[in-house]
Amino acid sequence: MFLTPSELERYQRHLSLAEVGQAGQEKLKRARVVVIGAGGLGSPSALYLAASGVGTLGIVDCDRVDVTNLQRQILFATADVGRAKAEVARERLSALNPEIRVIAHDVELRATNIRDVLKDYDIVLDGTDRMATRYLVNDACVMLGKSLVSAAIHRFEGQALTYVPDRGPCYRCLFPEPPAAGTVPSCADAGVLGVLPGVLGGIQATEAIKLIVGTGDSLIGRLMTYDALAMRFQEFQFARRMDCAVCGDRPTITALRDPPEVCSPEALSRVRRLTPAQLQSMLAGSDAAMLALIDVREPREFAVDHLAGARNIPVGEMSRRVAEIPRGVTPVFICRSGSRSLTACAVALNSGFAAPAHLEGGLLAWAKQAQRDNTRFEVADLA
Amino acid sequence: MACTVRIASPLRSYTNGAAATDASGATIGEVLADLDRRFPGMRFRMIDEQNRIRPHIRLFVNTQAAGDLSAPVRTGDVVHLICALSGG
Repeated sequence: MFLTPSELERYQRHLSLAEVGQAGQEKLKRARVVVIGAGGLGSPSALYLAASGVGTLGIVDCDRVDVTNLQRQILFATADVGRAKAEVARERLSALNPEIRVIAHDVELRATNIRDVLKDYDIVLDGTDRMATRYLVNDACVMLGKSLVSAAIHRFEGQALTYVPDRGPCYRCLFPEPPAAGTVPSCADAGVLGVLPGVLGGIQATEAIKLIVGTGDSLIGRLMTYDALAMRFQEFQFARRMDCAVCGDRPTITALRDPPEVCSPEALSRVRRLTPAQLQSMLAGSDAAMLALIDVREPREFAVDHLAGARNIPVGEMSRRVAEIPRGVTPVFICRSGSRSLTACAVALNSGFAAPAHLEGGLLAWAKQAQRDNTRFEVADLA
Repeated sequence: MACTVRIASPLRSYTNGAAATDASGATIGEVLADLDRRFPGMRFRMIDEQNRIRPHIRLFVNTQAAGDLSAPVRTGDVVHLICALSGG
């Protein structure tokens, strides 16, 4: 696959590098890379891969652009709010580099469709914000023989690693199983420094380009961590586990499956989503005694302020403490932003509660409503 | 044995936000017990009822993974508590 005159001009700075050169640039042109999640990580990685001339670039995301994304998701502009992320990304990346082919996958990755999405790509960049998807993507890459560059972020901290089939350990060799539902907060819950995914997404794109060109050392068997506050990079060695459930000598995961903490959309549709005004009116009404307010934040957050009558069961303890919630009442789960409470609903559904409720938007939304009502509610920051 | 413990950000709610702390113990298990005395509940986030390291947690002594709680810790070592992160 030869480079056209316009490509020779565009990629001149790559062609000057002996480690890339014309042969490397032609490999980039032939490469097929898919980015899972057009979010904080997927934005910079996709932009750099497109700019670098990766010939076929897939973008997988089923979300719409939200104004709160713009603080870090640099693929999107204010005018894109409400539009499909995958489609906006396709437009932006094609505008950046019309020489490449960008494919938008506006789908939610599940065990049932991931083979189909990944089959036409050689390298996968995982930048999803869902733990369940992270494990699904890893398992699919192992089974389909795809290279995977994985990264994740939290507040001021990020981590990255690379898996190449038959050359080193997979993500499950490092972290064999996902944490219990909701014990790892999402960006919405915990907050994230806007520039942080720029660093990690840049590392992912670098890893992908080196794999394609065939130069340098990869993060195979090495976990790289980055602490933006301390401005410290560190790396930790880890080895393939012979007992790894997916890449081990006798794998127990032989078919793709959605990890158990993923609540089915059908089940989640039974969750009653209450606005602060609805919850307020229910608490003031005659049926208040039929509600059990369960605050699923950490005890430290609960101590700062909580709704009157609320009981504290941190979401990480929900699975083993769900029996403490009386039967015959409607549990109303409450957290900071409405994410952990939804996870608690999933646990309750799995434990037989027919129709749990949660406070949509969490106590942040409650505090805003309180402000409008000239009362005050203090929401604790996360550590 | 005195060591430094570096704490992954999801666990810092137990340490009042501190990213690192000093601890003592000759093994990872003793270091975590020392931490739990000062930061109650922290150990349970990393170690289950059967004294196994939870599968989304990895503990490293300097740059080497600790397979279980008996991994030795020496004076001056840095113990890293690493969590699987999910943000993207």
